[in-house]
Amino acid sequence: MTNNQYKILSRRFDRNDAHNISVYEADGGYVGLKKVLSHMSREQVIAEVKESGLRGRGGAGFPAGVKWGFVPEDVEDIYFMVNADESEPGTFKDRFLLDYDPHMVIEGSIISSWAVRAKLCVIYIRGEFGWLVDRVQAAVDQAYAAGYLGENIQGSGYTLNMIVHKGAGAYICGEETGLINSVEGRKGQPRLKPPFPAVCGFLDKPTIVNNVETVASVPDIIIDGASEYRKHGTEKSAGTKLFSVSGPVKNPGIHEIPLGLPFNEFFHEWLGGMADGEELKAVIMGGSSVPVLTAEEAMETNLDYESLAEAGTMLGSGGMIIIPERCDMVELIQVLMHFYWDESCGQCTPCREGTGWLHRIVKKLRKGEGTLEDLDLIENVCEGMAGLTICPLSDAAVMPIISFLEKYRPEFEALIQNEKESISSSRWAREIRS
Amino acid sequence: MAKVVIDGKELEFPDGTLLFDACKEARGEPLPHFCYHPDLPIAGVCRLCQVEIEGMPKLTIACNTHVRDGMVVHTRTEKVIKAHKQILELHLINHPVDCPICDQAGECGLQDQYMNYGLYETNVCKDDKVTNPKAVVIGPEVILDKDRCVLCSRCVRFCRTVTKTGEMGIFNRGDKAEIGTAPGVELNNPYSVNVVDICPVGALTSRDFRFKKRVWMLKSVDSICPGCATGCNIRLDFEADSIFRIKPRYNEDVNGRWMCDSGRKEYKSVAAEDRLKVPTANGSEVDWPTLFNEIREFGKPGLVITSPHNSLEEQVLGQFIASEICGGNISSGLSDSFKGNADDMLVDADKTPNRTGAGLAGAKEYSAAELIEKIKAVDAPILIHSNDFDGNSEISTTLDAKTVIYLGTHENEISKQAAIVAPVSCWAEKDGSFVNKHNRVQLFKRAVARPVAASEDWRLLADLMRLWGLSDVPESMPAVRRLVSVRVSELSNFDMNAIAINGEIPGAAEPDDGGEG
Repeated sequence: MTNNQYKILSRRFDRNDAHNISVYEADGGYVGLKKVLSHMSREQVIAEVKESGLRGRGGAGFPAGVKWGFVPEDVEDIYFMVNADESEPGTFKDRFLLDYDPHMVIEGSIISSWAVRAKLCVIYIRGEFGWLVDRVQAAVDQAYAAGYLGENIQGSGYTLNMIVHKGAGAYICGEETGLINSVEGRKGQPRLKPPFPAVCGFLDKPTIVNNVETVASVPDIIIDGASEYRKHGTEKSAGTKLFSVSGPVKNPGIHEIPLGLPFNEFFHEWLGGMADGEELKAVIMGGSSVPVLTAEEAMETNLDYESLAEAGTMLGSGGMIIIPERCDMVELIQVLMHFYWDESCGQCTPCREGTGWLHRIVKKLRKGEGTLEDLDLIENVCEGMAGLTICPLSDAAVMPIISFLEKYRPEFEALIQNEKESISSSRWAREIRS
Repeated sequence: MAKVVIDGKELEFPDGTLLFDACKEARGEPLPHFCYHPDLPIAGVCRLCQVEIEGMPKLTIACNTHVRDGMVVHTRTEKVIKAHKQILELHLINHPVDCPICDQAGECGLQDQYMNYGLYETNVCKDDKVTNPKAVVIGPEVILDKDRCVLCSRCVRFCRTVTKTGEMGIFNRGDKAEIGTAPGVELNNPYSVNVVDICPVGALTSRDFRFKKRVWMLKSVDSICPGCATGCNIRLDFEADSIFRIKPRYNEDVNGRWMCDSGRKEYKSVAAEDRLKVPTANGSEVDWPTLFNEIREFGKPGLVITSPHNSLEEQVLGQFIASEICGGNISSGLSDSFKGNADDMLVDADKTPNRTGAGLAGAKEYSAAELIEKIKAVDAPILIHSNDFDGNSEISTTLDAKTVIYLGTHENEISKQAAIVAPVSCWAEKDGSFVNKHNRVQLFKRAVARPVAASEDWRLLADLMRLWGLSDVPESMPAVRRLVSVRVSELSNFDMNAIAINGEIPGAAEPDDGGEG
């Protein structure tokens, strides 16, 4: 393996007890926070993060420093929220950070909160991550005890409180305004924009929501400087990024790569290629919501925001799903359509009705009861869903099914022509079909 | 001001105007919509009012966008029309399309918008629909059909922000989401039927109106609610001689778009069993000539008692009679009658529609003791026009010793004891005006015919004036209204024959504070 030099965010993942503040501090932890509080102005911190080119790691890839700059100057109550509602199928990077290096997330959150003048920071952890709530709460308690949180942090005069909030298990609470509604105790449904949360968010006050990996990147940017951060990655996609890889490759799991790495190299040298007896068919690059790439398309692209956009897909959250040749694409899309149907918040009509309709059409196809017209219907339904709703969940359902249909249409057609029920290779898919 | 180009038309709007409203003006018809309602917070969930704004990559909903100077908007491009059609189709895929048994049919947003923007062949088969419970009683006035609901959330927002009672909510998520009330909670507030009005489909219907009449059979007239001194502007929906429902009529200065549930029941008294239908003299039915003979026999009255339920026109005729014949001896009844509870929305404590009008006509109110003294002091017939003194038994006992000429609509203690009972018209059976508590003169119009043998109040009063030898008796309603301006000094410069549809406050130089709605 040649990739140890890129282990920056993940450098403490295999160190014993890195979740303890003593280990973290001994490894240079909270130095960034001290530097910020004693030597830097807020403007300098925001400028440094802007300069680093750090982009939101939750999926949208919006420049973090720019987002922080949207907070109005003349408001007193400002909130900072860390989005740990990691629920995108195929994505499991944030849980590693929270589990193995929670203090790096906390330090990054405190620096970010300070930069935007927040008085309260909420770490919103998805409900299914029950054990992580305890893990992170323990780390927050340690940070309070060490004087990194609470009143007058490190004698700087800055006061910040931090709450660990557990979600109730809804994918949509990972959308930042859905998350804010959830923290307010409301139904987890995205809000209309404008106004954007940086102006009017939690309790109608400016609120910045950043992904776990985004805030975890902040301490290193502060300590080593933006130019050091930019040594990895490309001009527009700076730094390293965690990819969570699932599927039958030799080395699945978490990999931290410099952005811009060719997929070919990543696949063969980092992942070790397919497991024995498997053959690569397709790749979902950035979580289940992004358009699928065929093996050939994947091999020609690089892993950064721009190259993947050019290839017709997205970097997303870095939740990479490797699809082997034996996989039935119609079955796979059924699993995904079930997911989006189940997770649609139901607020906007196109998404509420559209995700359900797509799910029913795919179920029908799988039962061998579909017609060729159904394939056109899928495209038609998708047209009425894409880009027309409050949040992107609707698009997140449309992008995979449209790309599956475009690239693997013969598999859909074969199902229709055989008029036979497709035999599922997965017990779970069999269950949800009924 | 912002200059905006909509569909090629250059228009100017005040800053802050909703693009939805601007488009309505430019197009001459609103954009397709379900969730937008001018009196409720923006939800932006039906996604129908999509428009194309130059410089924006995606279509945008007009209800959550404000006009900006220089904005160029398209509402009829192929892209927009296609989006409208597709989103409408998504609204309809799980709708039961049970229009033949749906009360809303004929005034339904889904039907109207399908005809305007849809007109596609259905792509979804019947067995494939998501179904939900039908005919769920959720309160004393309202019944819910969850199957027809398009989840526009108007009712939820109404209960949350207008009545602030919050009974309704959307439960579950995705296409399993359904509208309803929480377990053990009833939709039971004084304004609950407004959710029926704002429901764009047949999901919420009125238990009172349900299955009574196809709405396209109904005709409407503009009227004023007689239930209290607020004077909510209403619409009477009727067919032939029956009123089927009352709906609020928009008047920004009075009731906005709402009215209370109890006002909606006012029509029931019109066709009530206890209506006075034929003239009676000394307890036996007579024809009108006989009745007039009897009245002539009794001689001229010495006291006129009108009622705060009478129209302003009738009040003034009563005052005319009192001042010309009874030496100005007039009262509009008891000062503490017809009082009840008020709330901070529309319902007023004064349960009469025209106490202000009675005052303008110069008729004073008295306490029961004072009124009894006044009645005792009269040694001539007493003319009572539709007052029943709120059923005060002391007054009826006092009236027992007197000759009473009663002009009324319903049976009551007074009609039972009166020597002469002349049946007259209910408010829905005649034209007239009420003056509300904020001095707003508002017109109501006849919807249905009065009972065959009953009279129209002003004609009967005019006949009595002639009977008692008065001259210059008005011969028509416009003449009565001219007389109002002559006899009421506050209205001397006010043209009663040219009152605007939303009513007017006479001589209102100062700003109108009638916007309590």
